[in-house]
Amino acid sequence: MEDYTKYKLKERDELVSLLADKDHLFIVACNKCFKEFQTFEEPDCDEFTELATSLGKHVTGSVCLDFLCNKTKTTKSLQEMIPEDTEHVVVISCGLGVQTVADLEKEKFPVYAAANSLNYRGHHGMALTKKSCDACAQCYLNVTGGICPIVDCSKSLLNGQCGGAKNGKCEVDSSKDCAWEKIYRRLEQQGRLEEFENQPVQMRDFSKVNFKTTNEYVKSIRENRFEGYYGGVHPSERKELCEHAELKRFPDPEIAVLPVSMHLGAPATPIVQVGDEVKVGQKIAEASSFISAPVHSSVSGKVIAIEDRPHATRGVCPSIVIESDGKNTLDESVKPNKPLEELTPEEIIEIVKNAGIVGMGGAGFPTCVKLKPATPVDTILLNGCECEPLLTADHKTLLAFADDIIFGLQAILKTTGAEKGIIVIEDNKPDAIALMEEKVADLANIEVVTAKTKYPQGAEKMLIKRVLNRWVPSGKLPADVGCVVDNISTVKAIADAIRTGMPLIERVVSVTGEYIKNPGNFIVKLGTSTKALIDACGGITADKDVTVKAGGPMMGFVMNDLEAPIMKGSNGIIAIETDHTQAVECIKCGRCVDVCPMELKPLYFAKLADEENWLGMQGMNVMDCFECRCCEYICSSKIPIVTKIKAGKNAIRGMKK
Amino acid sequence: MLITQLKSKETIASLASGKAFIIICHGCKEVSFPEKEVAALVKELTESGKVTGSITTDYICNPENMKLRLEKHMGEIEEADVVLVCSCGVGVQTIAEYLENKKVCACCDTYPLPGGQGVTPLEYDCQQCGECYLNLTGGICPITACSKSLVNGQCGGSKNGKCEVDPDMECGWERIYRRLEMVGRLDVLKCPTQIRNFATDVDVK
Amino acid sequence: MRITELFDSGEFVVTAEVGPPKGFHIEGLLEEAKTYLSDITAVNVTDNQSSVMRLGSLATCKALKDEGLNPIFQLTCRDRNRIGLQSDLLSAAMFGIDNVLCLTGDHTKLGDHPQAKPVFDLDSVSLLHAVKQLESGYDLGGNELVGEAPKFAKGAVVSPCSDSIDAQLAKMERKVAAGADYFQTQAVYEPEKFIEFMEKAKQFGKPVQLGIVIPKSVGMVRYMNANVAGIHVPEEMIEELKADKEKTKAGITGVEIAARIIKECKPYCQGVHIMALGWESKVPEILKLAGLR
Repeated sequence: MEDYTKYKLKERDELVSLLADKDHLFIVACNKCFKEFQTFEEPDCDEFTELATSLGKHVTGSVCLDFLCNKTKTTKSLQEMIPEDTEHVVVISCGLGVQTVADLEKEKFPVYAAANSLNYRGHHGMALTKKSCDACAQCYLNVTGGICPIVDCSKSLLNGQCGGAKNGKCEVDSSKDCAWEKIYRRLEQQGRLEEFENQPVQMRDFSKVNFKTTNEYVKSIRENRFEGYYGGVHPSERKELCEHAELKRFPDPEIAVLPVSMHLGAPATPIVQVGDEVKVGQKIAEASSFISAPVHSSVSGKVIAIEDRPHATRGVCPSIVIESDGKNTLDESVKPNKPLEELTPEEIIEIVKNAGIVGMGGAGFPTCVKLKPATPVDTILLNGCECEPLLTADHKTLLAFADDIIFGLQAILKTTGAEKGIIVIEDNKPDAIALMEEKVADLANIEVVTAKTKYPQGAEKMLIKRVLNRWVPSGKLPADVGCVVDNISTVKAIADAIRTGMPLIERVVSVTGEYIKNPGNFIVKLGTSTKALIDACGGITADKDVTVKAGGPMMGFVMNDLEAPIMKGSNGIIAIETDHTQAVECIKCGRCVDVCPMELKPLYFAKLADEENWLGMQGMNVMDCFECRCCEYICSSKIPIVTKIKAGKNAIRGMKK
Repeated sequence: MLITQLKSKETIASLASGKAFIIICHGCKEVSFPEKEVAALVKELTESGKVTGSITTDYICNPENMKLRLEKHMGEIEEADVVLVCSCGVGVQTIAEYLENKKVCACCDTYPLPGGQGVTPLEYDCQQCGECYLNLTGGICPITACSKSLVNGQCGGSKNGKCEVDPDMECGWERIYRRLEMVGRLDVLKCPTQIRNFATDVDVK
Repeated sequence: MRITELFDSGEFVVTAEVGPPKGFHIEGLLEEAKTYLSDITAVNVTDNQSSVMRLGSLATCKALKDEGLNPIFQLTCRDRNRIGLQSDLLSAAMFGIDNVLCLTGDHTKLGDHPQAKPVFDLDSVSLLHAVKQLESGYDLGGNELVGEAPKFAKGAVVSPCSDSIDAQLAKMERKVAAGADYFQTQAVYEPEKFIEFMEKAKQFGKPVQLGIVIPKSVGMVRYMNANVAGIHVPEEMIEELKADKEKTKAGITGVEIAARIIKECKPYCQGVHIMALGWESKVPEILKLAGLR
């Protein structure tokens, strides 16, 4: 692996003269980037501190930081860290780090560089190979058979070699091949010499790279990066695959498989037995603890088994298997409640609880628990972002059930006593935004907010930061900052439970991905097999290299058994291309840190997990990670960071017990 | 991390004279990648029947993973007269080396990105000059913040504090002067005449 | 002759500038220079002024010298690296051209070859240093020169009416430290600002020549106000140019203004440098009106 380390300490003499008239130094060192990730802290900081001390200087403190040029994080890290008695700040990093520290508005200390950036030509890629690109803005690789004349030729010649090469080596460096001889050989090999001979005279345009172009890019990129909240990514949305497919009711399953765990928390306890006749909406398993949720039958028929069955997220799970009688007989318990005005908050909570409603965005947290927050809340956020690529289930729900969603939101406002309800929709769903805006036009307490698309906007903490500019501190809940976040499908289920008395037995599911023949959106009874859904969409169009996931491409779970049923949190089934890559060494490119919306340092989690250093992971706040997978998505080394994080989180949870 | 822009339509058309296989790399998409333009290009070429296949992937600059991903497309690549790569220059070079006998062409021009040598785009840049001047300038880089990379103070070209080359750009040396004034270090301007050393790269390799 | 000798003898040094043409016939330029500028101390020859490609400064200097004028070789860092610059300095010495004016130079993007690669290997300060180094018998690489070391009057420029006087003074100080013997200024239209600047610049003990650009028309000064660094023509002066269009067109107003500025500033500086920009014929008139001839 090439080492693209950016700096090294200046020569001793230069440092001595630099420090000659300075004392009371605070030292900031960068832990370097673009090099093999071996040590946590680089030795340069200690080396320099030692030198300063030996010169009789008072060092007021020192700190080693990761990716010093990450302005947001460096600003936070250095806040209040530099002691009062400091007179000079010395930075050990490449020029970017020094400038970042010198630019911190709060710190008005003179800032000095104790290191020189290492000089090399061009920009490297995201893998540390010998190839580099000078970003000349006028790519010549088409003329040269893919060998760069700008970087590889010492003189950056464009029209052929100079007379300086000796034995095929460059006149500047005899260990370096003459680029133009390489180019000649490559073109000869490809039979393209004539093409080269016929090229017009090439002349560089040095005005192409200019402040205006690059500055405009930086501005727009930074705006995008920091839109609403730190980090996040913009994966290809590919919603067009099924956003225009009409929402259809999927035929009822002949056999419904209802796992007792379709939510976060304790599994529900079955209250039916094999052989029992059940009806639609009948409770068949009840909540077993405070954080749990009951399960209801989605069909009418007979319980034919209670046994382990394939499960999308757990592998297998005890499930109640019901053979439908095809009659869809409604259970007596399913009947409309009193009008909303007459219901008390407690009654609403009870309805939601009994309806088995859990977060339908995927997390599956029992909704009734959220409805009685420990602290007063002022705002309810409805998450209609659907920031996961491919999926369109929430989008379809917004369009088809707008009135139900508003009704459900009103119910939540009433229950929690919050003053305001905000429906947040990403700007890639203009039709849903227009519809909802029209619907809430006359409602004083509800508004629609359009959010610029960015993943994982739908995550509670991001949504709150984006819309309300409030930050939920580590280990805290949205209610701690005065709000509750619910998914729009969940709210639709609440509306059903109140209006018709129907518990949560069906949901909208997107079946999509490039390998689904006819992608579509369906209202599906819980317990329907995934395979049945996929088959109804024309099946999978390839016989190998296909990955089927429950959920979206980012947070979804890989399905090993397509018999696993649709559950409360199943917003989508996708069939996408398998990525044939292998994890390679971490190169400290820092991109995971750049995109982590929780402002964590995922690269450390991967390394610490490999060392089984769970306490170390805990110390770096791994428990704050909500597994959005941005780090894994961006990882240039293809390291399965989230898998490693999950292992760490499990181990830490185990330690607590 | 670099910025790419699609070359002109005419240029690309002249590259894709025969059958083409298209490789699209958007590993640095979070920075900037002409995603829509590339999609339109692929669509257009496909409709004209010139495309043997295409792959959208990331980080083709990593040769190992690039090879794994290209594996199942080798037939389509074989069939093509030219492999068109939509990526920065590093990606094109990596592919060109791997497919040594194939005509590999770049569909994009690559632009530099301030801060791209580090981990995130920034308003300022480091050109890895190898002889950090930041101690003499209060931490504002004269190499990148001055259009002429002057190291001994400003030229006479700034007008209203703006650079003669681009009226949107602040004069780097006026910024430096203000910064030094602010931190009380105007005395560093009395340092000896600075002359750049362009031979520093020998230190590295 | 090195113009430093005249400064030393207390003379009020008058120089003017000529710009070589885009072509190699300079009979016209020489004729004008002989007619209107033979009376003054020295003639600056610009170096691809405004980054517009023209006949070389050194060759033009040589031609002027052959005609008996005393040229000042302007040298910018835009087009040559340190090897080219030092080599040209030696060439100048060979021709007996011993006045140089060291400038950084406009950026290539401002001129008629915006695609060109700007060099800026050295800048005005390090170029002065390089000249001094050559004078000591060594080149910048530390190699000894063969035979006699050249000797130059090393000129530099400064913008006294720039928006950031303190930064200008700091740079001026660096130029002095690097070896500048005298300064020519950017065009001055605000004598009070110039005088204020000179009060501060006095400390460096180097002669300064007041820069004059003849205001030719309202359009020209408005353009300069908007685009030319370090130049500000006050509104009253623009009014003055507007007042009598015929007079302005005939160049009389401009000549009057230039002469007035020189008179006002004369007590505070050691010479004047007139950038006539094609109006070389007006130089004798200005000098006469200013009481210098």
